[in-house]
Amino acid sequence: MNLETFLARLYTDDALRSAFLAAPLDTALAEGASPSEAESLAAMNPESLTLAARGFTRKRDRRAALSETRPKLVPKRD
Amino acid sequence: MRFGIGWRRELGAAILSNLNRIDVIEVLAEDHTNANVAEQRALRFLAGSVPVVVHATSLGLASCDAVDPKRLDAVARVVGWIEPGAWSEHLAFVRWGGIELGHLAAPPRNERTLEGLARNIDRARQVIGMAPALENVATLLDPPTSDWSEPEWLRQVAARTGASLLLDLHNLHANATNFGFDAKTFLRGLPLDRIRMIHLAGGRRIEGGRILDDHLHDVPQEVFDLLPGAISDDVDVILERDGNYPRFGELLAELGRARDAAVRSAA
Repeated sequence: MNLETFLARLYTDDALRSAFLAAPLDTALAEGASPSEAESLAAMNPESLTLAARGFTRKRDRRAALSETRPKLVPKRD
Repeated sequence: MRFGIGWRRELGAAILSNLNRIDVIEVLAEDHTNANVAEQRALRFLAGSVPVVVHATSLGLASCDAVDPKRLDAVARVVGWIEPGAWSEHLAFVRWGGIELGHLAAPPRNERTLEGLARNIDRARQVIGMAPALENVATLLDPPTSDWSEPEWLRQVAARTGASLLLDLHNLHANATNFGFDAKTFLRGLPLDRIRMIHLAGGRRIEGGRILDDHLHDVPQEVFDLLPGAISDDVDVILERDGNYPRFGELLAELGRARDAAVRSAA
């Protein structure tokens, strides 16, 4: 398992994150983590994970809202 | 050493009116990757008026995944228009397998990430012509499967990639608060001779006494207190503010406090 992939999914996939928070070791193992990786993942602070995921969601929402009005150095004319 | 501020459209007029008090400007690459001809001309005018450095946020270099060549080309275009003395990116991953996080995520601090980072730095160096200064990131979550502390990670990064470092002192302050370590001890563990840029910013307290690095608030005293331990003659100090803008005089006053801290450091 690629750890970045799993972390990215934990940050963005509410269902996976809920399952992981309910049963971190089992969920990590079921997703393909090695026993040592699963232990490390299960040791993550659950509140920190939840806060981080919330922060990423806000950033994505903000970027989506700004994408149409991205500030420019000068106004676009074309 | 030079002291400057991040270019934001909302601050543009005030920045241009106060260039006698600003040594260097940092331009966000992703704000200008699709610049039209007039905007390219404006960027060149800006770079002709004041030293400019370029800051990128979208490449996700600290990853086992290869950097996206289109995004790298886009940053290279901006660097080509501005011809800065330096550019920078974060020690973060921002996507994987089509999943866009929307922001910077701290990667596992281990050999595997370091190998991916080194490959991506090589690609960036080939395309852009120089390696970026690499910035430490703020995080609410200590990356799992990390084998190294953050100072050791930064030492490994500097040694393996040959790149210089951009030390964000608010990110350091936030992580020290969020994970309960001493920021000044952290500083003493860094290869200070590799630091070429420093960021100053402010954030806010959230649940559990943690600090969120949102760039929407004043630079806290704790960050100014760290500056003397990090600065040297060859460093650019950049103030980052992304919104909730105060009067520009207050931002200039923050730059003044940074200059004062540097003078105290040299004394």
